[in-house]
Amino acid sequence: MPFNINITDIIASPTTDIALQHEVEQFYYREALLLDNIRYEDWFALLDDDIHYYMPIRRNRMQRRGKLRSTDLAEYTNEHEFAHFDDDKTTMQGRLTKLLSDYSWSENPASRTRHTVSNVLISAGDEANTYNVCSSFFVYRNRLETQVDIFAGERHDLLRRSDNNLGFKIAKRTLLLDQSTILSNNISIFF
Amino acid sequence: MEKSSNWPKNKIKALVNDEEGILDAQIYNDEELYQLELERVFSRSWILMGHDSHIPNAGDFLNTYIGEDPVLVVRQKDNSIRVFLNQCRHRGMKLSRDDSGNARAFVCSYHGWAHDIAGNLVDVPFEKQSHCDRLDKSEWSPLQARVDTYRGLIFANWDQEAPELDDYLSDAKPYIDVMFNRSEAGTVAIGGIQKWVIPTNWKFAAEQFCSDMYHAGTMSHLSGVAAGLPEGVGLNDIEIPSAGNQFRAKWGGHGTGYYVDEPGLLQAIMGPIITEYVTASPQAEKASERLGSKMFGQRMMGQHMTIFPTCSFLPGINTIRTWHPRGPNEIEVWAWIVVDADAPDDIKEEFRKQNIRTFSAGGVFEQDDGENWIEVQKVFKGNKARKTKFNAQMGLGDSVTKHPDFPGRIGDVYSEDAARGMYQHWLRMMTEPNWETLKP
Repeated sequence: MPFNINITDIIASPTTDIALQHEVEQFYYREALLLDNIRYEDWFALLDDDIHYYMPIRRNRMQRRGKLRSTDLAEYTNEHEFAHFDDDKTTMQGRLTKLLSDYSWSENPASRTRHTVSNVLISAGDEANTYNVCSSFFVYRNRLETQVDIFAGERHDLLRRSDNNLGFKIAKRTLLLDQSTILSNNISIFF
Repeated sequence: MEKSSNWPKNKIKALVNDEEGILDAQIYNDEELYQLELERVFSRSWILMGHDSHIPNAGDFLNTYIGEDPVLVVRQKDNSIRVFLNQCRHRGMKLSRDDSGNARAFVCSYHGWAHDIAGNLVDVPFEKQSHCDRLDKSEWSPLQARVDTYRGLIFANWDQEAPELDDYLSDAKPYIDVMFNRSEAGTVAIGGIQKWVIPTNWKFAAEQFCSDMYHAGTMSHLSGVAAGLPEGVGLNDIEIPSAGNQFRAKWGGHGTGYYVDEPGLLQAIMGPIITEYVTASPQAEKASERLGSKMFGQRMMGQHMTIFPTCSFLPGINTIRTWHPRGPNEIEVWAWIVVDADAPDDIKEEFRKQNIRTFSAGGVFEQDDGENWIEVQKVFKGNKARKTKFNAQMGLGDSVTKHPDFPGRIGDVYSEDAARGMYQHWLRMMTEPNWETLKP
């Protein structure tokens, strides 16, 4: 599984120290503000060099006793299959270049977005000064005259302490979107 | 074919002018024309369902659509494939709601009518008590479609009178083979079908893959190209290719276009590794041998293609999709990726990653297609705009049929002859009720 967070583990993990909780949430609020104010380059600077930005496809699957019948029939596509996003630093740089090119018609004029991040649950990462963070996101997009898209889902981040002005960098971001068929003409925004 | 009071034959015929290259915008936005399309185009044409490798084992199934009709595509024990309406004949509930999977039977979740994997009704709860042996179960199975495959691609057609798939594909087959017959091992689909909704008419998407290199060589994808350039190289440093051709099928509305010996666009989309794999690797040389010429194996680049009406793919990039219609103003894109079955693992992985980066809902190329198409469609709300006459005159009268390298009717890479061919076939499907006049 490409997910770096195990839900059972994070539910069982001890309640996070209030200072750390505050720090991580404040990081997310500032990150959201960058995204919602079209500060693409500043947001890009928050991605660490080994960033893996990933959104698997989600499928409709019948369950047996509340579980899927086999891993072959998983709800999410796996790391060898198709995905909505599967980016490293180079391909994210390409996406940034596109956005800054003046010809990025899907985001020029830019979408108006509102990223809301909540339900932040933190556990210690495998390496020192890293944190596995599970959170919920709600992204509203309004575009051109009347287009509205609403995206909700779960973020699984690996955050790494950094001496940048926001205190962290994002080393991994797995996005579990609460849609199977994407109900939008494109996904030209970041989550 | 049911008659339409608002759209008699002569009125439909005035919508498309193949000789002069003029299209009436109503073909993209009229609700009644759309309902006629569901009957006359989608219920009579071969529609792409998926790939052999999506359902390798007996009982493997895929849920998809013919037009707006939900169908189950199921592998049988004798390795044949059945396609039948995903609808119970009792009260119409869907027989399966898994996107895909493996089944021993399809049992309706409403009243429990059970069907075998061939789609035959085999068991009805309380049959003895309530039907007293009066029910002939063989009369009450879901509607079956005709099924055939070409090079691993599964197609289905409701119409028993329609031509065989092989005849339907007409003289387009050598151009399909550029993507699907490169190796004796054939192709396999990478797992996962990406689905998304675009509020546009299906013909914009189909036509673009059929005939429109113009948008790629001009404005639409400049930022997509920029996204793949190495550091320090800007849009001003690169030259947009211009040498290449377009093919219009002699029958069926299929079309394709490609650059020749100009890897620029392919490189911008797929990067150096795949460009080398499809144009210069030992595997590419083997493909040339198999396809009968270096031209078809290695020198056609950045190819786009549509098999009428809604099967579109990009050889060398290897995305393939069905544009499922959802009313005159909306489609669902169902896209997946194929690779040569015997390609090295790192090449398969590179195809996967580059398609996600470029040709997907979030792809740096495809994002901008979605933008054009929805804006075009929105403008049709206007009383004048919905009846505008559009210009489709590029390359009018310029195509030849005796090209030294390419069989069939060939024009310039920036022609619209293939688009005119697609709309001309659409017109015939919409106005000719009988295969006697319509057949290849």
